[in-house]
This record gives sequence, C-alpha cells and structure tokens, in this order.
Amino acid sequence: MMIKSIRFCYRKIINADAPTAWERLIFEDSYTEFKMQAQRFNQENKYSSFADILYNNAAAEQLHFLTCAAATGYIKQLNHKIPDVQNTLGKTFLPFSNFRFEIINSDVKDILKHRVPVNFYSDVVTWVETIGGTMVLSLNNTVEAGELLTESFVLPPFVSIYAIKQTD
Amino acid sequence: MERKIFLKNGLSALGLVAVAPLVSTSCKKNKTSADDGGTTTTGGNGSCTVSPTETEGPYPTKSPSAYVRSNIVEDRTGVPITMNITLQNAKNGCAALAGAIVDLWHCDKDGNYSEYSGFTTVHFLRGRQVTDANGLVTFTSIFPGWYTGRTTHLHIHIFNASGTSLKVTQISFPEGNSSAVTIVNTTASGYTKGMSGYTYNANDNIFSDDTGNVEMASVTGSVAAGYTLTHKIAVSA
Repeated sequence: MMIKSIRFCYRKIINADAPTAWERLIFEDSYTEFKMQAQRFNQENKYSSFADILYNNAAAEQLHFLTCAAATGYIKQLNHKIPDVQNTLGKTFLPFSNFRFEIINSDVKDILKHRVPVNFYSDVVTWVETIGGTMVLSLNNTVEAGELLTESFVLPPFVSIYAIKQTD
Repeated sequence: MERKIFLKNGLSALGLVAVAPLVSTSCKKNKTSADDGGTTTTGGNGSCTVSPTETEGPYPTKSPSAYVRSNIVEDRTGVPITMNITLQNAKNGCAALAGAIVDLWHCDKDGNYSEYSGFTTVHFLRGRQVTDANGLVTFTSIFPGWYTGRTTHLHIHIFNASGTSLKVTQISFPEGNSSAVTIVNTTASGYTKGMSGYTYNANDNIFSDDTGNVEMASVTGSVAAGYTLTHKIAVSA
C-alpha cells in the first residue's frame, strides 16, 4: 500500500450574501477594519476601490495582512476545525492550524463590494486509498484494536489538495 | 503501516466499537418522540417542515480586532518598554482628546515587522487602544530595534471614535551616548546590531525636518528595569 501525507486547502469566500452569523461577523468586521486601514494608503481619500488604492500605492498590498486582524478572533472560534468541509457522514472533520485571509475586492464607499476569502490549510492527514471517488483518510493514524480509524471524503468544490508527500 | 489492520469508519473514534450497530443507529438521525425533525405539516398557512435537531454548535461571539490590546509583545523578546502616549486636541485649546482610537506598531529587536510570511498570521508589536478621559493610551511592548535606512521609530495612526483617520505620524527617540537607543543596542541581550550603520534622526527621511523635536518622545529607565516612553501628540479633532 502506498501511503501519502496530504494537506487540503479550502477557499471560503465571504461576501455580502454571507448566510451564517459567523460569516456575517467576519464580513462586517473585516470591512470596518479595511476602511480604517485603507486610509493610511489613501490619505487624500482620492480612491474608493481596493483595486484603485492598490494600483496607486503598491504598499497597500499590506491591507490583506492588516485587515486579517479583524477575522483572527472568529477563526479561532472554529477550534481548529475547517468549516463546511464534511466527510461522507456530513460532519466537519478536517483539522487546521494555518489560514490566510485575503481581500479580493472592496470599496471604502460600498460594503457590497467587499469580498474576502479565507484559505484554510488542513493539518497533515494520511491518504490511505481511494475507493470509487471517495478518499479514505486517516487523521491521526489511530489504531484501535488493530483497526485503523479512517474518514471517507469526496473533494467538494473550492477544496484542493494543497500538498502531498510520500511517506511509505 | 501493518497490512493486516482493517479499515474502519471514523465514527469509531467516538467510542462506538461494534461495527454492525453503526449501520442502523449512527448513519441516520435518531428518531425519538421528542425529535420530530423533518416532519412536514400542511395547514391553513401553507406547508412547513420542522427543522432537524442538531447539536448546538458554538455560537459565534463578537470578537474585537486582534489589535485591541495593551500588551503587544506576543512572542517577541527584548527589553521591556511601557509607552504612554497622550493626545491633545489642537482645536480645543490643547485639551485632552478622549475616545480617540490609537493604532501603534513598530519593528522587533531585529528590525522586522509582523506581516504575511507564508502562513504567518500573528500581528506582533501592533496594538490598538482608545484614549481615556486624560487622552492617554498605554502600550506594553519591547524596545524597538532598527533596520538599515531608518532611525528607531514608532508608527502611529490616530482615528476618531468612528474610525475616520485624524493623523498618521511617527515617534522618534532621543540619541546620544547615554540615550536608551545607544545603551539598548550596544549592551542589551539579543540586540545584536550595535550602532554601526545606524541612521540618526538628522539623516532620517522622516525626522530630518523635525528640528524642533516635536515628534521626539521622552525615554527613561534602564535595560535592567525596563524603559518608559512618554509622548504627546496634538491633532485637530
């Protein structure tokens, strides 16, 4: 059996249609933070869209990182479990420690333009095999009574295999 | 990995050992008399379906920006410094400006700022406080280092209570052989750059025109006891 360690990436895009309270909080608070921080890179208030601010001041690239601080507290509330991405039993299961917040688009005059993805990078899990279209994964390689505990998983949209490493 | 071990459903991690019962109980929602989830009723007001009963997830709670804190050290090491910054309102006879938001950030002892680097999402040495009735904010930090081309400095961004920018400015440090900048950089543990190649205020592209030292803080203390920085900033609010 060929064993590989893999990491997944889930790109969750949060916009004005944010359906859950958690997404809504990230949407609103990151927009407030974006508006505050953007003023430093747009001191004459000449531009309103993120694209224009960035085009006219390359240092505004920092806004991805600077705005992220508004989302950090909410991402911690996930307790290291990637949201939305479910195993075949309908349960979230993928652990993560790393994430990256970005701004796709925003506008200091229009909150409806605010679109911010959070990229969740899963911790390393073991790919055991693929049966049909279903991946069989082991999170911790936990063996109970001689049996390897596994999770079954089908790659949904916006989830990719971020990294792969052959271990056996 | 042993080839003999069986592959088993992840629910076993919950302590369910037997395989057979999993099929009948765990792969579908338990139905009890109290759980009428999924039941569809049609009445005078149309049709409605009772929501399924799920474990209560952790409700999201309002969480302030990671900047909102007085102690901004996080994992950085260095000589402790307490920064007391007082805001005055130039439009109101230099009275204390209460309720203003003050963002402060600076580099670590090696001259590095927190920023995206790979997955790094820490925001060390960046903080946000709101001025009290005396116009004062206090940050607990470490003495900033320096990097090529700039003198030792702090960055400040001041907002009114609704987040509108009032002032983007910087704070400089006193210089000289007995200054905290020289003593820290030449004697304190971890500050390895010394003063060779240092950019002094007179040659700094931000502070060289600050001949009246309006942007210069007062710094007292010692490496052993830590330092205290005091500074006043006037804004038109």
